[in-house]
Amino acid sequence: MRSELLKGLRMLDLTDEKGALCGKMFADMGAEVIKVEPPQGCPSRRIPPFLDDQPGLDNSLHFLAYQAGKRSITLNLESADGRELLKELVKRSDFIVESFAIGYLEAIGLGYDAVAELNPRIVYASITPFGDKGPGKNYKAADMVSWASGGAMFLMGEEGKPPIQMSEPQAWLHAGAEAAVASMIAHYARQSDGVGQHIVVNAQACGVWTLMNEQAMPLLHGDYLRRNSVYTGAIGGRRKTVYQCKDGHISFLLAGGAYFNSSKAVIAWMREEGAAPDWLAEEGGLKTLTPAGFMAASAADLKELDDAEEAIQRFFLGKTKKEMWENILKRRLFGATVANAADIAEDPQLKAREYFVKVDHAGLGREFTLPGAFAKLSETPVGPQGAAPQLGEHDHEIYGGVLGLSNREIVGLRAAGII
Amino acid sequence: MSGLPFAGIHVLDFTWYAVGPVTTKYLADYGANVVRIESAARLDGLRLAPPWKDAQPGVDNSQFFASFNTSKRGLALDMSNPRAREIFLKMLPWADVVSESFTPKTLRNWGLDYEKMRAIKPDLIMLSTCMQGQTGPNRDYPGFGNLMAALSGFYYVSGYSEAEPCPPYGAYTDFIAPRFAACALIAALDHRRRTGQGQYIDMAQYEAALHNLAPMLVDYFASGRVLGPTGNRSDRYAPHGAYRCADEDGHERWIAIAVANEDEWQSMMATLGNPAQDTRFATMIGRLRNREALDEYVGALARERNAEELTVAFQAVGVSAYPVQSCMDIHRDENLEAFGFWQWLDHKAMGPSPYEGFEHRMSRTPGSLRAAPALGQHSDEVLSEILGMTATEIEELKREKVIY
Repeated sequence: MRSELLKGLRMLDLTDEKGALCGKMFADMGAEVIKVEPPQGCPSRRIPPFLDDQPGLDNSLHFLAYQAGKRSITLNLESADGRELLKELVKRSDFIVESFAIGYLEAIGLGYDAVAELNPRIVYASITPFGDKGPGKNYKAADMVSWASGGAMFLMGEEGKPPIQMSEPQAWLHAGAEAAVASMIAHYARQSDGVGQHIVVNAQACGVWTLMNEQAMPLLHGDYLRRNSVYTGAIGGRRKTVYQCKDGHISFLLAGGAYFNSSKAVIAWMREEGAAPDWLAEEGGLKTLTPAGFMAASAADLKELDDAEEAIQRFFLGKTKKEMWENILKRRLFGATVANAADIAEDPQLKAREYFVKVDHAGLGREFTLPGAFAKLSETPVGPQGAAPQLGEHDHEIYGGVLGLSNREIVGLRAAGII
Repeated sequence: MSGLPFAGIHVLDFTWYAVGPVTTKYLADYGANVVRIESAARLDGLRLAPPWKDAQPGVDNSQFFASFNTSKRGLALDMSNPRAREIFLKMLPWADVVSESFTPKTLRNWGLDYEKMRAIKPDLIMLSTCMQGQTGPNRDYPGFGNLMAALSGFYYVSGYSEAEPCPPYGAYTDFIAPRFAACALIAALDHRRRTGQGQYIDMAQYEAALHNLAPMLVDYFASGRVLGPTGNRSDRYAPHGAYRCADEDGHERWIAIAVANEDEWQSMMATLGNPAQDTRFATMIGRLRNREALDEYVGALARERNAEELTVAFQAVGVSAYPVQSCMDIHRDENLEAFGFWQWLDHKAMGPSPYEGFEHRMSRTPGSLRAAPALGQHSDEVLSEILGMTATEIEELKREKVIY
């Protein structure tokens, strides 16, 4: 069932991986999202890893995840006929999102100004690595390079080793989601006067927005954060945030302030099980932590915290992830298991909320399970609207149904390499 | 602000920390009238967190808070006081949107829920965002986005190997959820305009964040494979990594490089003056197969070079590269500068300082940032404007510590 939220609105998605999530979010909200692909297929069909490690145009996990619920048409923008077809679609659409190199669409007569003449209502979002004004406006950026440019990569990794990215690249997802928000804002604006606009999304800036409070530190405190493995800058600059347990890892932080009760509760748990060393078992042990937090620590304070962390690590090593999680909930610890895909798939909370959604992929003849509704809306539920399309799967539906071309014309365009 | 897309939209905003405030910030920066309701009895933790003006702690000195709450007005109301809750209910007819981001039990304890509010304001849109959602066994799980980043899989896919995770910085999922929440909220406003119908939005940070790991989850459900961390290894780019360059002013500099194909590799090598290379690197498959040796080779070539100059040289021939920017570097990054990313705002207590601006630019209705409120900065103004309260009434409520 198509979501009612954006029903009746149409988006032309001309992006590769750089904007995939934008159209996916719109599809989840009920818009008709037409993925316009070159005849050889969108480059994002070739992003590894692949389903069962079998490369194939339908098998990229990235494509299966982020194109779900979209329609696919093929269209050769390099041909005059292809461009004319796109213009016809533009007249019947509400949104365009694109991620070509700056200037490409202008050069072929499909830049914002040309498109706005055909359809003044259009909301046209351009996703760029570095904006459209600076010396880097024509720079290329693979996901990791974008991640590096915004400051997030510098903070990940161990001192003495290279900075790293997450193994599921993130930069273009932030940029795609930002394009979705900006497009919604522009859509809301045009509802009052019927006029659309051009949006330029800057992926580097999207990366900066993941830095939390670190971005302003150099200006106000005069220094900046270095990557520090599993340690956080709290108290003494080196508090452990990840502990090993019997069958994996746990995130936990020994600290005062908001973490004070949680820290006390872990020590109480250790005492219950006779696992606290004598000095920690005494009432008043670990005197360095206070509900007010902790600003300046003496060498002795830091030694005490280091020793406490060591004792906690020994204690956690005897617990499984499952035991840890049960106690995190029961004792209201600020803690979390370092969950992997299997843990998440089996999480009773997500099951209780019927989060994951199955969709049928007719072309592959299999069912896929996707992350479900990104939010639960009481009157207009959202969520995956179907599987990722095969290349040109909706050529007939769109060229025939939307543009009114006959089957013969469609066959002719195909023979000419236009679609 | 008139002329902006959300001019005339009224929001009563109880959200705190990051996800909620960053979500409602989208509305506020685009003209909505957002009243941030805060409690002096239970402060937003961001007011107590650095960075502070002149490195001095103080509830009105946190740029962390100020950065996430631009363009809002501040009303300090102690909601644990029944009289404050009465004031809130009197303000409710004014609101188009109510937003909150507590664990679900907080509103239950206040005796407030969407049904009760809708009885007063039938077309109200309400956004509740918390860690795990309003229903389910773990709905009252407390925590921050750093814990959610562990629970939702991001820690697991971060590291050089599976031996030990090397997590992403900070409360990572806090910076995924707002864009999803803002889309839902704006679309709900649009839906209300078309249909007259309000609605309730139950947003779990967890469920939004998992969309950023969707390929990994699709894979697990389809094949049972559990993807783990692979450092900077890529199956589509080689070289692909961060390589140390020459230090600058005593600071470590690195360059990120991703080479997608033969042409790019040839261009990159030509830029470096075609130095001698191992025959194993002559083909893409060879480079993919011998990543460690390749990293060592590229690392040695980059080590004495300037990261910026190398970036310019590589990009000139179409190779994807950029310096690995630190939090200091981004403040002098010429591309962010040219985009007009940093904006100076004059905060009541902190004075002028630079803030993160927009990650996008709109051609016709650009947003506009105004400084965040000091605690209770607009209490008088808001109560007089919305409820027509007199100065005497407001003074009395302050004496009683209902408002601040």
